[in-house]
Amino acid sequence: MNIRQAIKMAWKSILGKKGRSMLTMLGIIIGIGAVMTIVSAMNGYKEKTMEQYKAMGSDQLQVSIYSWMYDEDGNSLAPDYFPDLYDYCVGLEGVVGVTPNSRSWDLTVSYGTKNSSNMQDYQVDEKGNVVGDMPPNVYLVSDQYSMCRNLTIARGRDLSVLDTRNYNQVCVLGARAAKTFFGSADPVGKTMQVNGCKFDVVGVYASRIEGEDYQSVRVDNFIILPYTARRVLGGEQPTDFIVKCSNSDVMMEVKSKIEGFLKGLVDRNTGDAYVDMENSWQQYEAEQMGMISLVLGGIAAISLLVGGIGIMNIMLVTVTERTREIGIRRAIGAQRSSIVTQFLMEAAMLCGIGGILGIGLGTAGSVIAGRLMFQMTIYPAVWITVCAFSLSVALGIIFGIYPAVKAANLQPVEALRAE
Amino acid sequence: MAHLIELRGVFKIYGEGLESEVRALDGVSLTVDPGEFVAIVGQSGSGKSTMMNVLGCLDIPTRGDYFLDGTDVRELTDKELSHIRNKQIGFIFQQYNLIQSLTVLENVELPLIYQGINADDRYDLAMEALERVGLAGRVKHKPTEMSGGQQQRVAIARAIATKPPIIMADEPTGALDSRTGHEVLQFLQQLNKEGSTVILITHDNGIAATARRCVRLQDGKIVEDRQQEVDWL
Repeated sequence: MNIRQAIKMAWKSILGKKGRSMLTMLGIIIGIGAVMTIVSAMNGYKEKTMEQYKAMGSDQLQVSIYSWMYDEDGNSLAPDYFPDLYDYCVGLEGVVGVTPNSRSWDLTVSYGTKNSSNMQDYQVDEKGNVVGDMPPNVYLVSDQYSMCRNLTIARGRDLSVLDTRNYNQVCVLGARAAKTFFGSADPVGKTMQVNGCKFDVVGVYASRIEGEDYQSVRVDNFIILPYTARRVLGGEQPTDFIVKCSNSDVMMEVKSKIEGFLKGLVDRNTGDAYVDMENSWQQYEAEQMGMISLVLGGIAAISLLVGGIGIMNIMLVTVTERTREIGIRRAIGAQRSSIVTQFLMEAAMLCGIGGILGIGLGTAGSVIAGRLMFQMTIYPAVWITVCAFSLSVALGIIFGIYPAVKAANLQPVEALRAE
Repeated sequence: MAHLIELRGVFKIYGEGLESEVRALDGVSLTVDPGEFVAIVGQSGSGKSTMMNVLGCLDIPTRGDYFLDGTDVRELTDKELSHIRNKQIGFIFQQYNLIQSLTVLENVELPLIYQGINADDRYDLAMEALERVGLAGRVKHKPTEMSGGQQQRVAIARAIATKPPIIMADEPTGALDSRTGHEVLQFLQQLNKEGSTVILITHDNGIAATARRCVRLQDGKIVEDRQQEVDWL
């Protein structure tokens, strides 16, 4: 008996008992739907966050240089290490850019009536649109910031070496920050106030990420100033830097070279220096998310198991009910393997159909879960869909084996005698 | 000429060694040659159904040898036995034993499916068999929509669709009225005339009279084996 015949037989048998087939499938439908919703919502969230990290650059090293030399008044006596680091990195193979990466919490930015100290946070309205303003992140950086952060200039010009060297009071805006302060007007040439000091807007960066959702708009909400602007703004020398590598393969090599260089640069009696892989905490967070999804997925998998046992139960009932039919088939020449194929196919198809319906449920579930939990539209990834279907068919086969073998092992004579 | 069927001292014993031991077949020896029409007659409990199961390769003897067309059946695997039932033997049962969820055509095609014959040839062979029993016009019906006589004709069509050399009929008229029963027996005689070996199992001496040879069973033993005048129908 070939597979096509087996499929035909199974299909007939399933259609012959629609109500029972539907109820049997319900366990699989709910199980697959639940697993898929959880896995795909979590996976979608993880991927979107990863996408955002990637947009900001994921092949970066985080360099921290600390000094604990202070004068009598408690002011830091730390020297400016950056020019040395900059010069070293420019000559280093595998390095794309280097910049201080100090996010400044003490700086207030204003233009006209817009003042960052009055901004709270974005809100998401009932349609899912982001409204309101959020204070932009202000970074004090070098001319290579754009290279480190995968930024391209949309209007005006980027920061230059001269801006840092000459203490120019200029700034470049991220796309979202430009929108916040200037709306649709061109910011280039306008003058903004940073803690009361005048800074000329010389350029605006292009948006790095598509999408208007809460997570995406935050990525481009920033303003950069030359790090040497600290001379007029006050505050300490930068302590955190990022080094962008050409790719993730050279990172370890670059890391060890910079570590070697820092040993000669920083006196261990008065300070310390570290080089870390950047974004490690974000990756940690993503891994945590993966753990949570694993646990939830496991719980949902139990419902699948219960669904599978339901399939086995019904198949056993079917075998009992059809004992005589099995006897007839055996009498007219069906081999054991044909009987096994027939019942296995029936279980696999029952589960396969349940799986397809479950995938439908899971797709709807992940869209809804994405909306409610992460304010994102998440569709299940293709691999999740393929896995879900394969899993359901596999369940059918696993839980179908026992009833099918039981059917095949019936003695023809006894099976024929059954009522 | 080689015997088609040869039983040598065949025993079928249920619960051997127990007090409740039942000897359904108690040392039966029998040969059947190709083209014979044999009636196996006996009261209920005489062992004739067990005889049919053994002859039909549905059951294996406890002891003794069974050669079918020269092959020792006791040596065969389940797969080979299935193959013999499929190719060599056409079964006709008292209760028709049609599969209720399948149509008439699908029932008749079933043994051909297990032979692995392709759909077109299968259809042709099944239709040929159904035409022979006069049911070619009702192939889409379910067995439950037909009378007992018609159902038994479907079962006959199923038995002859594979063109087996041996037809085994177990009380084929048992559930039918005398007129339709008569038709069925007539059909068996016709098949025998065309060269099939027919083995008819019955408790009814009148029905046994349609066969050229009569083998009488009693308590699992053959008590009579004779050629007789055929009651041609």
